[in-house]
Amino acid sequence: MIKTQFITTTIALPTSPIALRQAIETELEKIGKPLRWAITEVNLDRKTVTLEAIVTLDEPALLSF
Amino acid sequence: MTLVPYTAVLIIPTGIAAAIGGYAGDGLPVARALATVCDRLITHPNVMNGAQLYWPMANTLYVEGYGLDRFAQGDWGLQPVHHNRVGIIFDAGIEPDLRLRHLQAAEATRATLGLDLTDYVITDAPLNVELRQAPSGASWGTIGNPESLLRAADRLINQAQAQAIAIVARFPDDIEPEALQHYRQGAGVDPLAGAEAVISHLIVREFKIPAAHAPALAPLPLDPTLSPKSAAEELGYTFFPCVLVGLSRAPRFIDTPDSRLADSIWAPQVNALIVPANAFGGSASLSLSQQAELILAIEDNLTAMRSRPEPLGIKAIRVNSYLEAIGLIAAHRAGMSPFALSAHLSSLRCLAPACD
Repeated sequence: MIKTQFITTTIALPTSPIALRQAIETELEKIGKPLRWAITEVNLDRKTVTLEAIVTLDEPALLSF
Repeated sequence: MTLVPYTAVLIIPTGIAAAIGGYAGDGLPVARALATVCDRLITHPNVMNGAQLYWPMANTLYVEGYGLDRFAQGDWGLQPVHHNRVGIIFDAGIEPDLRLRHLQAAEATRATLGLDLTDYVITDAPLNVELRQAPSGASWGTIGNPESLLRAADRLINQAQAQAIAIVARFPDDIEPEALQHYRQGAGVDPLAGAEAVISHLIVREFKIPAAHAPALAPLPLDPTLSPKSAAEELGYTFFPCVLVGLSRAPRFIDTPDSRLADSIWAPQVNALIVPANAFGGSASLSLSQQAELILAIEDNLTAMRSRPEPLGIKAIRVNSYLEAIGLIAAHRAGMSPFALSAHLSSLRCLAPACD
Protein backbone atom coordinates (compact mmCIF):
# COMPACT_ATOMS: atom_id res chain seq x y z
CA MET A 1 0.00 0.00 0.00
CA ILE A 2 1.34 3.41 -0.97
CA LYS A 3 1.28 6.29 1.48
CA THR A 4 2.29 9.94 0.96
CA GLN A 5 4.20 11.45 3.85
CA PHE A 6 5.35 14.99 4.58
CA ILE A 7 8.79 15.34 6.14
CA THR A 8 11.13 18.13 7.12
CA THR A 9 14.83 17.61 7.69
CA THR A 10 18.19 19.33 7.71
CA ILE A 11 21.29 18.23 5.81
CA ALA A 12 24.86 19.51 5.35
CA LEU A 13 25.42 21.98 2.53
CA PRO A 14 27.82 20.55 -0.10
CA THR A 15 29.94 22.72 -2.36
CA SER A 16 28.03 22.43 -5.63
CA PRO A 17 24.34 22.59 -6.61
CA ILE A 18 24.47 19.16 -8.26
CA ALA A 19 26.11 17.58 -5.21
CA LEU A 20 23.43 19.25 -3.12
CA ARG A 21 20.60 17.83 -5.21
CA GLN A 22 22.14 14.38 -5.02
CA ALA A 23 22.65 14.66 -1.26
CA ILE A 24 19.01 15.65 -0.81
CA GLU A 25 17.74 12.75 -2.87
CA THR A 26 20.00 10.31 -1.04
CA GLU A 27 18.72 11.61 2.30
CA LEU A 28 15.08 11.40 1.22
CA GLU A 29 15.54 7.89 -0.18
CA LYS A 30 16.42 6.74 3.33
CA ILE A 31 12.78 7.45 4.18
CA GLY A 32 10.86 6.83 0.97
CA LYS A 33 10.66 7.62 -2.73
CA PRO A 34 11.02 11.40 -3.26
CA LEU A 35 8.02 13.04 -4.91
CA ARG A 36 8.46 16.76 -4.31
CA TRP A 37 10.92 18.73 -2.21
CA ALA A 38 12.30 22.20 -1.70
CA ILE A 39 15.10 23.80 0.26
CA THR A 40 13.27 26.29 2.42
CA GLU A 41 16.23 27.81 4.25
CA VAL A 42 20.01 27.95 4.04
CA ASN A 43 22.03 28.38 7.26
CA LEU A 44 25.50 29.57 6.29
CA ASP A 45 26.80 29.57 9.86
CA ARG A 46 26.05 25.90 10.32
CA LYS A 47 26.48 25.12 6.62
CA THR A 48 23.16 23.33 6.46
CA VAL A 49 19.98 23.48 4.43
CA THR A 50 16.45 22.82 5.68
CA LEU A 51 14.20 20.75 3.45
CA GLU A 52 10.50 20.18 3.21
CA ALA A 53 9.42 17.17 1.17
CA ILE A 54 6.74 14.69 0.29
CA VAL A 55 7.88 11.10 -0.17
CA THR A 56 5.88 8.00 -0.93
CA LEU A 57 6.18 4.94 1.24
CA ASP A 58 5.35 1.38 0.25
CA GLU A 59 3.85 -0.19 3.34
CA PRO A 60 2.67 -3.74 3.85
CA ALA A 61 -1.13 -3.69 3.73
CA LEU A 62 -1.43 -5.30 7.17
CA LEU A 63 0.26 -2.31 8.75
CA SER A 64 -2.13 0.20 7.16
CA PHE A 65 -5.39 1.20 8.77
CA MET B 1 13.52 31.74 -34.92
CA THR B 2 17.29 32.05 -34.76
CA LEU B 3 19.57 29.33 -36.19
CA VAL B 4 19.85 27.86 -32.70
CA PRO B 5 16.52 28.23 -30.90
CA TYR B 6 16.82 30.32 -27.76
CA THR B 7 15.22 28.41 -24.89
CA ALA B 8 14.26 29.89 -21.53
CA VAL B 9 12.82 28.19 -18.46
CA LEU B 10 10.54 30.20 -16.19
CA ILE B 11 10.00 28.76 -12.71
CA ILE B 12 7.61 30.19 -10.11
CA PRO B 13 7.15 27.40 -7.56
CA THR B 14 3.60 26.85 -6.38
CA GLY B 15 2.34 27.17 -2.82
CA ILE B 16 5.12 29.46 -1.55
CA ALA B 17 3.27 32.78 -1.56
CA ALA B 18 5.10 34.17 -4.58
CA ALA B 19 4.13 37.84 -4.91
CA ILE B 20 3.88 37.27 -8.66
CA GLY B 21 2.52 33.87 -9.69
CA GLY B 22 1.37 32.84 -6.24
CA TYR B 23 -2.32 33.40 -6.89
CA ALA B 24 -4.79 32.64 -9.68
CA GLY B 25 -2.73 32.59 -12.86
CA ASP B 26 -1.05 35.89 -12.07
CA GLY B 27 2.26 34.58 -13.42
CA LEU B 28 0.75 34.25 -16.89
CA PRO B 29 1.49 37.86 -17.96
CA VAL B 30 5.16 37.18 -17.19
CA ALA B 31 5.10 34.10 -19.41
CA ARG B 32 3.32 35.98 -22.19
CA ALA B 33 5.95 38.71 -22.19
CA LEU B 34 8.92 36.34 -21.89
CA ALA B 35 7.60 34.20 -24.73
CA THR B 36 8.05 37.17 -27.07
CA VAL B 37 11.81 37.44 -26.43
CA CYS B 38 12.77 33.77 -26.74
CA ASP B 39 12.14 31.06 -29.30
CA ARG B 40 10.93 28.51 -26.76
CA LEU B 41 9.66 29.09 -23.25
CA ILE B 42 9.37 26.14 -20.90
CA THR B 43 7.19 26.71 -17.88
CA HIS B 44 4.73 24.86 -15.67
CA PRO B 45 1.03 24.77 -14.76
CA ASN B 46 1.32 27.14 -11.80
CA VAL B 47 2.43 29.85 -14.21
CA MET B 48 0.00 29.07 -17.01
CA ASN B 49 -3.22 28.12 -15.20
CA GLY B 50 -5.77 30.85 -14.56
CA ALA B 51 -8.81 28.68 -13.76
CA GLN B 52 -11.27 29.70 -16.50
CA LEU B 53 -8.57 31.86 -18.11
CA TYR B 54 -5.63 30.69 -20.19
CA TRP B 55 -3.47 31.94 -23.03
CA PRO B 56 -2.03 29.23 -25.24
CA MET B 57 1.22 30.23 -26.93
CA ALA B 58 2.73 28.31 -29.81
CA ASN B 59 6.29 28.57 -28.46
CA THR B 60 5.48 27.81 -24.82
CA LEU B 61 5.73 24.33 -23.35
CA TYR B 62 3.45 23.39 -20.44
CA VAL B 63 5.48 20.98 -18.31
CA GLU B 64 4.30 19.64 -14.97
CA GLY B 65 6.73 20.16 -12.10
CA TYR B 66 7.94 16.58 -11.64
CA GLY B 67 8.51 16.32 -15.40
CA LEU B 68 10.35 19.63 -15.28
CA ASP B 69 12.61 18.26 -12.53
CA ARG B 70 13.46 15.19 -14.60
CA PHE B 71 13.96 17.32 -17.73
CA ALA B 72 16.32 19.58 -15.80
CA GLN B 73 18.31 16.58 -14.56
CA GLY B 74 18.77 15.43 -18.15
CA ASP B 75 16.77 12.24 -17.57
CA TRP B 76 13.84 13.15 -19.78
CA GLY B 77 13.49 15.13 -22.98
CA LEU B 78 10.45 17.10 -24.08
CA GLN B 79 8.76 16.14 -27.31
CA PRO B 80 6.48 18.90 -28.62
CA VAL B 81 3.18 17.66 -30.08
CA HIS B 82 0.29 19.09 -32.07
CA HIS B 83 -2.23 17.64 -29.66
CA ASN B 84 -2.84 15.13 -26.87
CA ARG B 85 -5.92 13.06 -26.12
CA VAL B 86 -6.64 14.11 -22.56
CA GLY B 87 -8.24 11.72 -20.09
CA ILE B 88 -9.98 12.96 -16.94
CA ILE B 89 -9.92 11.42 -13.46
CA PHE B 90 -12.69 12.49 -11.10
CA ASP B 91 -12.20 11.87 -7.40
CA ALA B 92 -15.02 9.66 -6.08
CA GLY B 93 -15.23 12.11 -3.19
CA ILE B 94 -16.76 14.80 -5.44
CA GLU B 95 -20.51 15.26 -4.98
CA PRO B 96 -22.57 14.40 -8.12
CA ASP B 97 -23.63 18.00 -8.81
CA LEU B 98 -20.10 19.31 -8.47
CA ARG B 99 -18.79 16.52 -10.70
CA LEU B 100 -21.42 17.40 -13.29
CA ARG B 101 -20.22 21.02 -13.29
CA HIS B 102 -16.71 19.78 -14.09
CA LEU B 103 -17.95 17.37 -16.71
CA GLN B 104 -19.85 20.19 -18.41
CA ALA B 105 -16.74 22.37 -18.31
CA ALA B 106 -14.89 19.53 -20.04
CA GLU B 107 -17.67 19.15 -22.62
CA ALA B 108 -17.45 22.90 -23.28
CA THR B 109 -13.76 22.61 -24.14
CA ARG B 110 -14.66 19.90 -26.68
CA ALA B 111 -17.47 21.90 -28.28
CA THR B 112 -15.94 25.38 -28.08
CA LEU B 113 -12.20 24.74 -28.33
CA GLY B 114 -12.21 21.41 -30.17
CA LEU B 115 -10.17 19.59 -27.54
CA ASP B 116 -9.80 15.81 -27.85
CA LEU B 117 -10.91 14.19 -24.58
CA THR B 118 -11.26 10.50 -23.83
CA ASP B 119 -14.05 9.00 -21.73
CA TYR B 120 -13.47 9.73 -18.06
CA VAL B 121 -12.82 7.63 -14.96
CA ILE B 122 -14.11 8.02 -11.40
CA THR B 123 -11.66 6.74 -8.79
CA ASP B 124 -12.70 3.54 -7.01
CA ALA B 125 -12.38 5.29 -3.63
CA PRO B 126 -12.33 8.91 -2.41
CA LEU B 127 -8.81 10.32 -2.67
CA ASN B 128 -9.05 12.02 0.74
CA VAL B 129 -6.77 14.97 0.07
CA GLU B 130 -5.47 16.62 3.23
CA LEU B 131 -3.95 20.10 3.31
CA ARG B 132 -1.21 21.33 5.57
CA GLN B 133 1.01 24.34 6.02
CA ALA B 134 4.66 23.61 6.62
CA PRO B 135 6.95 25.45 9.09
CA SER B 136 8.35 27.52 6.20
CA GLY B 137 4.87 28.85 5.40
CA ALA B 138 4.59 26.79 2.19
CA SER B 139 1.45 24.79 1.58
CA TRP B 140 1.76 21.04 1.17
CA GLY B 141 -0.65 18.15 1.20
CA THR B 142 -1.06 14.42 1.27
CA ILE B 143 -3.34 11.98 -0.54
CA GLY B 144 -5.11 9.39 1.57
CA ASN B 145 -5.69 7.01 -1.32
CA PRO B 146 -2.87 7.36 -3.84
CA GLU B 147 -3.34 3.83 -5.18
CA SER B 148 -6.89 4.65 -6.24
CA LEU B 149 -5.52 7.62 -8.18
CA LEU B 150 -2.92 5.42 -9.87
CA ARG B 151 -5.47 2.74 -10.80
CA ALA B 152 -7.65 5.40 -12.42
CA ALA B 153 -4.72 6.75 -14.43
CA ASP B 154 -3.78 3.24 -15.52
CA ARG B 155 -7.31 2.69 -16.88
CA LEU B 156 -7.26 5.96 -18.82
CA ILE B 157 -3.90 5.20 -20.36
CA ASN B 158 -4.46 1.55 -21.16
CA GLN B 159 -8.20 1.40 -21.90
CA ALA B 160 -8.86 4.87 -23.32
CA GLN B 161 -5.38 5.56 -24.78
CA ALA B 162 -5.13 8.87 -22.98
CA GLN B 163 -1.92 10.76 -23.76
CA ALA B 164 -2.26 13.24 -20.89
CA ILE B 165 -4.14 13.10 -17.60
CA ALA B 166 -6.27 15.81 -15.97
CA ILE B 167 -7.21 15.14 -12.36
CA VAL B 168 -10.06 16.74 -10.45
CA ALA B 169 -9.83 15.98 -6.74
CA ARG B 170 -12.24 17.05 -4.02
CA PHE B 171 -10.40 19.43 -1.74
CA PRO B 172 -11.55 20.15 1.82
CA ASP B 173 -13.87 23.13 2.20
CA ASP B 174 -12.75 23.76 5.78
CA ILE B 175 -9.71 25.80 4.82
CA GLU B 176 -8.45 27.94 7.67
CA PRO B 177 -10.57 31.14 7.24
CA GLU B 178 -7.76 33.61 7.83
CA ALA B 179 -5.47 31.92 5.28
CA LEU B 180 -8.26 31.81 2.71
CA GLN B 181 -9.11 35.46 3.28
CA HIS B 182 -5.46 36.46 2.81
CA TYR B 183 -5.26 34.47 -0.40
CA ARG B 184 -8.42 36.03 -1.79
CA GLN B 185 -6.95 39.43 -1.02
CA GLY B 186 -3.75 38.65 -2.92
CA ALA B 187 -1.52 38.02 0.08
CA GLY B 188 -0.20 34.94 1.80
CA VAL B 189 0.08 31.41 0.53
CA ASP B 190 -2.29 29.50 -1.76
CA PRO B 191 -3.52 26.88 0.73
CA LEU B 192 -4.40 24.36 -2.00
CA ALA B 193 -1.37 24.58 -4.24
CA GLY B 194 1.04 22.28 -2.46
CA ALA B 195 -1.41 19.39 -2.41
CA GLU B 196 -2.26 19.94 -6.06
CA ALA B 197 1.39 19.55 -6.98
CA VAL B 198 1.66 16.30 -5.04
CA ILE B 199 -1.26 14.80 -7.01
CA SER B 200 0.11 15.66 -10.44
CA HIS B 201 3.69 14.77 -9.45
CA LEU B 202 2.56 11.26 -8.50
CA ILE B 203 0.91 10.64 -11.87
CA VAL B 204 3.88 11.99 -13.82
CA ARG B 205 6.40 10.05 -11.74
CA GLU B 206 4.57 6.75 -12.13
CA PHE B 207 3.39 6.99 -15.76
CA LYS B 208 5.77 9.50 -17.39
CA ILE B 209 2.82 11.25 -19.00
CA PRO B 210 1.77 14.93 -18.91
CA ALA B 211 -0.63 15.59 -16.02
CA ALA B 212 -2.16 18.52 -14.19
CA HIS B 213 -4.75 19.05 -11.49
CA ALA B 214 -7.75 21.23 -10.74
CA PRO B 215 -9.36 21.23 -7.29
CA ALA B 216 -13.11 20.75 -6.87
CA LEU B 217 -14.54 23.03 -4.22
CA ALA B 218 -17.90 24.38 -3.17
CA PRO B 219 -18.34 27.97 -4.44
CA LEU B 220 -17.17 30.66 -2.04
CA PRO B 221 -19.38 33.57 -0.93
CA LEU B 222 -19.02 36.79 -2.89
CA ASP B 223 -16.19 38.97 -1.56
CA PRO B 224 -16.21 42.66 -2.56
CA THR B 225 -12.59 43.03 -1.37
CA LEU B 226 -11.30 40.31 -3.69
CA SER B 227 -7.85 40.99 -5.19
CA PRO B 228 -7.53 41.04 -8.99
CA LYS B 229 -4.70 38.50 -8.52
CA SER B 230 -7.17 35.96 -7.13
CA ALA B 231 -10.16 36.89 -9.27
CA ALA B 232 -9.69 34.26 -11.98
CA GLU B 233 -10.83 31.57 -9.56
CA GLU B 234 -14.15 33.32 -8.92
CA LEU B 235 -15.42 33.24 -12.49
CA GLY B 236 -17.34 30.02 -12.42
CA TYR B 237 -17.86 26.66 -10.83
CA THR B 238 -14.55 25.08 -11.79
CA PHE B 239 -10.85 25.85 -12.24
CA PHE B 240 -10.74 23.25 -14.97
CA PRO B 241 -10.59 24.74 -18.53
CA CYS B 242 -6.99 25.99 -18.22
CA VAL B 243 -5.80 22.50 -17.23
CA LEU B 244 -7.44 20.85 -20.22
CA VAL B 245 -6.12 23.49 -22.59
CA GLY B 246 -2.58 23.23 -21.20
CA LEU B 247 -2.52 19.45 -21.35
CA SER B 248 -3.97 19.35 -24.86
CA ARG B 249 -0.62 20.57 -26.20
CA ALA B 250 1.77 19.65 -23.39
CA PRO B 251 5.00 18.08 -24.64
CA ARG B 252 5.39 14.36 -24.02
CA PHE B 253 8.30 12.96 -22.07
CA ILE B 254 10.96 10.86 -23.78
CA ASP B 255 13.89 9.17 -22.10
CA THR B 256 16.27 8.60 -25.00
CA PRO B 257 17.29 11.03 -27.71
CA ASP B 258 15.79 9.78 -30.97
CA SER B 259 17.10 11.07 -34.28
CA ARG B 260 13.59 10.66 -35.74
CA LEU B 261 12.36 13.23 -33.22
CA ALA B 262 14.66 16.07 -34.22
CA ASP B 263 12.60 18.71 -32.44
CA SER B 264 12.88 17.16 -28.98
CA ILE B 265 14.32 19.45 -26.30
CA TRP B 266 16.90 18.48 -23.66
CA ALA B 267 18.35 20.29 -20.69
CA PRO B 268 21.66 21.29 -22.32
CA GLN B 269 19.63 23.35 -24.81
CA VAL B 270 18.38 25.68 -22.08
CA ASN B 271 19.90 29.14 -22.45
CA ALA B 272 18.23 31.04 -19.62
CA LEU B 273 16.65 30.26 -16.27
CA ILE B 274 14.38 32.73 -14.45
CA VAL B 275 13.50 32.12 -10.77
CA PRO B 276 12.28 34.25 -7.83
CA ALA B 277 15.40 35.45 -6.00
CA ASN B 278 14.72 33.62 -2.74
CA ALA B 279 13.27 30.40 -4.20
CA PHE B 280 16.26 28.69 -5.84
CA GLY B 281 15.97 25.60 -3.64
CA GLY B 282 14.00 23.36 -5.98
CA SER B 283 15.32 20.40 -7.91
CA ALA B 284 14.91 21.97 -11.36
CA SER B 285 16.63 25.21 -10.34
CA LEU B 286 19.62 23.36 -8.86
CA SER B 287 19.97 21.18 -11.96
CA LEU B 288 19.53 23.93 -14.54
CA SER B 289 21.91 26.22 -12.70
CA GLN B 290 24.68 24.06 -14.18
CA GLN B 291 23.24 24.17 -17.71
CA ALA B 292 21.89 27.63 -18.46
CA GLU B 293 24.27 30.39 -19.57
CA LEU B 294 22.08 33.11 -18.05
CA ILE B 295 20.45 32.72 -14.65
CA LEU B 296 18.23 35.52 -13.45
CA ALA B 297 17.08 35.99 -9.86
CA ILE B 298 13.98 38.18 -9.65
CA GLU B 299 14.17 40.35 -6.54
CA ASP B 300 10.65 41.73 -6.44
CA ASN B 301 9.00 38.35 -6.67
CA LEU B 302 9.23 37.68 -2.96
CA THR B 303 8.22 34.27 -1.64
CA ALA B 304 8.09 32.49 1.72
CA MET B 305 11.34 30.66 0.94
CA ARG B 306 14.82 31.61 2.13
CA SER B 307 16.98 29.92 -0.48
CA ARG B 308 18.92 32.51 -2.42
CA PRO B 309 21.24 31.45 -5.25
CA GLU B 310 24.66 32.44 -3.84
CA PRO B 311 24.71 30.24 -0.71
CA LEU B 312 23.65 27.32 -2.91
CA GLY B 313 26.62 27.87 -5.22
CA ILE B 314 24.53 29.27 -8.07
CA LYS B 315 25.91 32.18 -10.09
CA ALA B 316 22.84 34.26 -10.84
CA ILE B 317 22.36 37.84 -11.96
CA ARG B 318 20.02 39.66 -9.63
CA VAL B 319 17.46 41.84 -11.35
CA ASN B 320 14.74 43.90 -9.76
CA SER B 321 11.82 42.78 -11.87
CA TYR B 322 10.59 40.60 -14.68
CA LEU B 323 10.60 43.70 -16.88
CA GLU B 324 14.36 43.94 -16.36
CA ALA B 325 14.73 40.20 -16.94
CA ILE B 326 12.92 40.46 -20.26
CA GLY B 327 15.39 43.11 -21.40
CA LEU B 328 18.38 41.02 -20.35
CA ILE B 329 17.05 37.97 -22.16
CA ALA B 330 16.35 39.97 -25.31
CA ALA B 331 19.97 41.22 -25.25
CA HIS B 332 21.34 37.75 -24.49
CA ARG B 333 19.35 36.20 -27.32
CA ALA B 334 20.69 38.90 -29.64
CA GLY B 335 24.21 37.86 -28.67
CA MET B 336 24.93 41.12 -26.89
CA SER B 337 26.62 41.97 -23.64
CA PRO B 338 24.00 43.64 -21.45
CA PHE B 339 26.67 46.16 -20.38
CA ALA B 340 26.45 47.69 -23.87
CA LEU B 341 22.98 48.97 -23.00
CA SER B 342 24.07 50.91 -19.93
CA ALA B 343 25.16 54.56 -19.73
CA HIS B 344 28.72 53.76 -18.68
CA LEU B 345 30.93 51.21 -20.36
CA SER B 346 34.33 50.63 -18.82
CA SER B 347 37.42 50.40 -21.03
CA LEU B 348 39.07 47.12 -21.86
CA ARG B 349 42.08 46.30 -19.71
CA CYS B 350 45.13 44.26 -20.45
CA LEU B 351 45.16 40.89 -18.76
CA ALA B 352 48.08 40.71 -16.30
CA PRO B 353 50.77 39.47 -16.28
CA ALA B 354 51.32 38.45 -19.92
CA CYS B 355 51.22 42.05 -21.31
CA ASP B 356 54.06 44.57 -21.20
